[in-house]
Amino acid sequence: MKPKLIRAYITAKKQLNPDTFSLELKTSGLRLQPGHFFEIRTSDTYDPYLNRPISVAGYQRSRLLLIIRKAGRGTTLLHEKNTGDRILMLGPMGKGIIPKKKRTLVIAGGIGIAPLYFLAHNLTVGKIPFSLIYGVRNHGDHILISELKRICSDLILVCERGAKKKVTALDVLKNMDLAKYDIIYACGPKAMFVELQRMKFDQPIYVFCEDFLGCGCGICIGCAIKIKGTYKRICIDGPVFNLKEIDFNV
Amino acid sequence: MIKLFGIPFKNPIFIASGVFGFGLDFKEVSNKVGALFTKGITLKPRPGNPPPRIVETAAGLINWVGLENPGVDIFCRDILPKVKKLKCRVFVNVAGFSINDFEKIVEKLADRIDGLEINVSCPNVKEGGVLFGQDPKIAAQVTGAVRKRTRLPVIVKLTPNFCDPLLIGKACIDAGADGLSLINTVFGQAYNAHTGERIISGGLSGPAIKPFALFCVNRVSVLGVPVIGIGGIETVADVREFLSAGASAVAIGSALLRDPYLPIRIIRELKVVSNISKNEKL
Ligand SMILES: Cc1cc2nc3c(=O)[nH]c(=O)nc-3n(C[C@H](O)[C@H](O)[C@H](O)COP(=O)(O)OP(=O)(O)OC[C@H]3O[C@@H](n4cnc5c(N)ncnc54)[C@H](O)[C@@H]3O)c2cc1C
Ligand SMILES: Cc1cc2nc3c(=O)[nH]c(=O)nc-3n(C[C@H](O)[C@H](O)[C@H](O)COP(=O)(O)O)c2cc1C
Ligand code: FES
Repeated sequence: MKPKLIRAYITAKKQLNPDTFSLELKTSGLRLQPGHFFEIRTSDTYDPYLNRPISVAGYQRSRLLLIIRKAGRGTTLLHEKNTGDRILMLGPMGKGIIPKKKRTLVIAGGIGIAPLYFLAHNLTVGKIPFSLIYGVRNHGDHILISELKRICSDLILVCERGAKKKVTALDVLKNMDLAKYDIIYACGPKAMFVELQRMKFDQPIYVFCEDFLGCGCGICIGCAIKIKGTYKRICIDGPVFNLKEIDFNV
Repeated sequence: MIKLFGIPFKNPIFIASGVFGFGLDFKEVSNKVGALFTKGITLKPRPGNPPPRIVETAAGLINWVGLENPGVDIFCRDILPKVKKLKCRVFVNVAGFSINDFEKIVEKLADRIDGLEINVSCPNVKEGGVLFGQDPKIAAQVTGAVRKRTRLPVIVKLTPNFCDPLLIGKACIDAGADGLSLINTVFGQAYNAHTGERIISGGLSGPAIKPFALFCVNRVSVLGVPVIGIGGIETVADVREFLSAGASAVAIGSALLRDPYLPIRIIRELKVVSNISKNEKL
């Protein structure tokens, strides 16, 4: 689907944890899959100058769900918007994925849950069984727990700090029987991808990349990622890539 | 409609080099503009630079893309046939690292396009990396070499970095350039304030450079050739400022990163404005 310029009303806003909130926008006629994202205009001025890429976290009955973590200026300005405000955005952008009917493991680190929440929904709708490991840094950071419990029968919540025991999503992974799964999807910080790459899985593993983008639609060549030795564009060739093909040491 | 270099253009809104690829991703936009300046084409394919290639700064961005492009041969074979189908004038942005590079690229392109934009903002490898466009003599040599090999309109795209565009522009016109486009990006860097680490060193563009671009355009406007104004154009008001400064047409760059459909809106608004002023005259 070719990206369009869309002006959409905010129909709901929810605070999900101290840093993270969700916006629900009214916009119809889109065909969206996990991996698709929108480039959001966060300001009417040139501060910040560029749009901000935000993943599709859900789309049902003309309601688009975005889950956003306050990371800096742009996302903070988005946090200041309220129900009834209009948002200008371009999209959908990126290549969406259609999950295969395979035994699936999903790994989310922090705000990485945003696109994976949509994936989890699609897996549920497609009646594909899956497990979800969802790691966060601090106690209380987990979002949408009851919704996730409803759609995922095998949900493993982990917390790095604050809880009695320090564990990361990757610690859990290391002690799991991975032979149960045919395919893995992951989204989280780059450090997590680097760690996952070291673990050398037998099954295919796809990651959702969340880097800084220029345009989001392929025209600036500003979002290089090295795949099998050549530069690809995160925004149009991805943002979902086969982790085994990414070269992080460029 | 406007006429420059003896050829007609649908309107004076062009697309600047490097921010719209080859104009094929948003054909409906390319088809509406007066001209498209392609991504810079080099003699050999270039993989481009490692990330980060783009870093946002106050009212703009710094890029260090590194002229990623497939090289002139693949461009001519695979891309040019598609580009030729666009309903706008196509100027190929020619980027060389030696005079010989420029000559060869221009020969290979032959007369299959509407014109050439000579990018003299690359380092001249033979002269210790000084930009071709920083020295009037070398800029004139490049222009003269290109002029000898083509009958197409030749526009030289001037760099504003550590040199006087008026001097360089005059030298290029004396060597046979038909027009000038400016400005290319302004040298810029960004650092991480906490760690002291340099994040990027490259070219600054966007609204941050607009006043300087207007100054440069106005400065070369005395030379009497068509000038394409570039730098931070986002609105119809910006376009009018550049035309007032002496530009014959303008090219939109970084603004396309924020909205690839912007040229269509600007062209529509310009038409409305010019119709209103026509009616007022009646
Ligand atoms: C395809 C995609 C999908 C995404 N989906 C989501 C999502 O669903 N939800 C979500 O919350 N986020 C998502 N992100 C991340 C989100 O786009 C960023 O967090 C956001 O752009 C930050 O903007 P900001 O203005 O708030 O922060 P900024 O102020 O721009 O930056 C935040 C921090 O990053 C640092 N930084 C800035 N530029 C760079 C750079 N070039 N390199 C390294 N560090 C830099 C800054 O110094 C600052 O500390 C996604 C990103 C991509 C590419
Ligand atoms: C990402 C990017 C890539 C660019 N690539 C080229 C290029 O290949 N050749 C060139 O002559 N100028 C290139 N430019 C410069 C622009 O064409 C333009 O001169 C400059 O960005 C100023 O205009 P703006 O402020 O409207 O962006 C590039 C600019 C950007 C932002
Ligand atoms: S962000 Fe511009 S090409 Fe990917």
